[in-house]
Amino acid sequence: MSTPGADDATAVTGEVPDREPSRLGRLSARYGRSLVTALLLVTILFLIGPVLVTFIASFFENWTGILPSGGLTLRNWAQALGVAETVGASRGLGGFWTFVAPDVLFVLDLPLLPELTLFFPFDFYVQTPIPMALGFSVLLALLGVFINLLVGVPIAYAVTRYDFTGRRLMNTFAVLPIVPGIILGIAFLKTYPDLPSVIALVLGYSLLKIPYMVLAVQSSFESMDLRQMEESARSLGASWTTTFLRVIVPGAKQGIISGSIICWTLAAAEFNFSYVVYSSGPRPFSLFLFENISNNPFLRAAAAISIYFIIVAVVTALLNRLGENGFSVGGVR
Amino acid sequence: MSTLDESTLLGRIRGTRPGRLVFPTTEQGRKRRRIAALAVPFFALATFGAFLPLVKMFRISVSEQFLFEVQGWTLAPYQRLFASIAAFVPVVGTDISAAIAAGGEAVNPVYGKTIWNSLWFGAITTVSSVTVGIAVAHGLEKYDLPRKGLLVTLVSFPISLPGIVAAFMMIVLFGQTGFLTNFFAVLSGTEPVDLQLTGQPSGTTLAILGLFFGYLYSMIPRATLLLRGTYAEVNTDAEEAARALGATPLQTFRHVTLPQIRPGIVGALILTFRTALAIFGTVLVLKALSVVTFRFDQLVKVGFELNIASALAAIFFLFTVLFTFLSLRYTSAEVAR
Repeated sequence: MSTPGADDATAVTGEVPDREPSRLGRLSARYGRSLVTALLLVTILFLIGPVLVTFIASFFENWTGILPSGGLTLRNWAQALGVAETVGASRGLGGFWTFVAPDVLFVLDLPLLPELTLFFPFDFYVQTPIPMALGFSVLLALLGVFINLLVGVPIAYAVTRYDFTGRRLMNTFAVLPIVPGIILGIAFLKTYPDLPSVIALVLGYSLLKIPYMVLAVQSSFESMDLRQMEESARSLGASWTTTFLRVIVPGAKQGIISGSIICWTLAAAEFNFSYVVYSSGPRPFSLFLFENISNNPFLRAAAAISIYFIIVAVVTALLNRLGENGFSVGGVR
Repeated sequence: MSTLDESTLLGRIRGTRPGRLVFPTTEQGRKRRRIAALAVPFFALATFGAFLPLVKMFRISVSEQFLFEVQGWTLAPYQRLFASIAAFVPVVGTDISAAIAAGGEAVNPVYGKTIWNSLWFGAITTVSSVTVGIAVAHGLEKYDLPRKGLLVTLVSFPISLPGIVAAFMMIVLFGQTGFLTNFFAVLSGTEPVDLQLTGQPSGTTLAILGLFFGYLYSMIPRATLLLRGTYAEVNTDAEEAARALGATPLQTFRHVTLPQIRPGIVGALILTFRTALAIFGTVLVLKALSVVTFRFDQLVKVGFELNIASALAAIFFLFTVLFTFLSLRYTSAEVAR
């Protein structure tokens, strides 16, 4: 308990409150707590309710009233995953090996003869199976996480362990997402016009998600006595590099793992940047979601989004096993 | 090995300032080298990932040609933007715009309107989500609720969802076949079409209300978690003392808790506001209000007016950076972790 005077910064000034509680005061004593609790529950319902409704609805054949109707079916899922044939053939996530047959094969225009156009006989395309393309998206996000690790862990250590001029500024730059995704996308368009989308996306992901990695790793570093650990290891003969790689980094395991998981999930679903930058090659997962949301029937879109919900649910369970509360670690900027 | 064995070039490099950073001779110098080595990957990523692209973006915003090769210098895009912004100002706007614009006539205030939309809508959603965030963080930190860890997990769940999914969640709740739309339609006996908040024409009250909830869906979790960090640092002894001395819960909150969390609230307002400005996916799906980020999409994908888009992006970027840094620096704002 702090002594009076030591807490001057937070000292209460102004009039002394009335001794006799007012009507409002009595009401707050009576109902305030239930009111705040109710608001808390309503908020959670607002945030989680639609997630559950979407997931449940994706298994139904029809949904027009308050509740889904019709029988249970896996059709929406099959269509969203591209396993089942659909009218208008959803291209889904395809792209890496997508081959769409041309309508017109070639036009033969010889002198003295009528123009001869050869049509391709079938309406036909080949595309990557969706689980495969999804896997590619997963890999893209993993590459982003790999760069985040190489970049984020050292910078987090530098600003937590050492004191130097510009430390605060560097810390702010590392933990605040300075550039919004859409601005970065516009900036990328002309800077790296020839860069394959894959590389541009990985570069963008790692830059946009670095704050989450730094924050998560920093919170681990802050719970360690870094100076003492470093000095003990050094005095026992370890070089500074060895100390960093074999003492400091393993000590921050929890932060590093949760940071990686969070960065991976956020990168896999990054939309604003991907939407502007993507031009060719394997499609990012978020664009697959966007196409489903904007073009496809409601229930198929629900199934497509539920794929992502399942991923997030698994990730959340992993984070909770690590001792975090879901995405609450660091990931708040 | 003595320095005599080495080449003179290396010796000369060691004498310079950067040379001493790479080949330090003192413990202080070695420490400096470690810090530099730790920061190098970050600066490399920041340079190639952010700095160079942003410089290029600024360059395009002041170039005469940009389609094939970036050439020439002009301020025309900025002139057009500022003329449009000025035209939006009531009463005197038309005259100022005519004075700024290239043709000498007032231009369409579309950019002024767009920027104004971003600002007022961002402000309203920020204040709302921070208000809800205070209540939720208060409940989570002050009350001994059962399964608190689960509640925190649930509140932070939407942080993992991109804006387009937040928009879909609004369609699930408030769309034509939406859960709440149909619920209230049955209650009030009206048609769902008149109640739905999504899929309405852009700019109508109902559409904006739908977008409002879409923004809140992304912003409440962020505001809550920022405030939770603040609440964790509150001195509970003072609150208990106030209660023991007969203050009502409301008085305790007003006079004891609020002064302590005020810097955290200011910090949360600042960071949540910049989140609100950067939201794009939600607007792209719901198409309810023309905000700056939505305008980018039209400029880049439809018209390909990349110089105007770059100029707008440059203004937007400078505004966010200055706003964030200046307000974090010059207000009582604190961001807890």
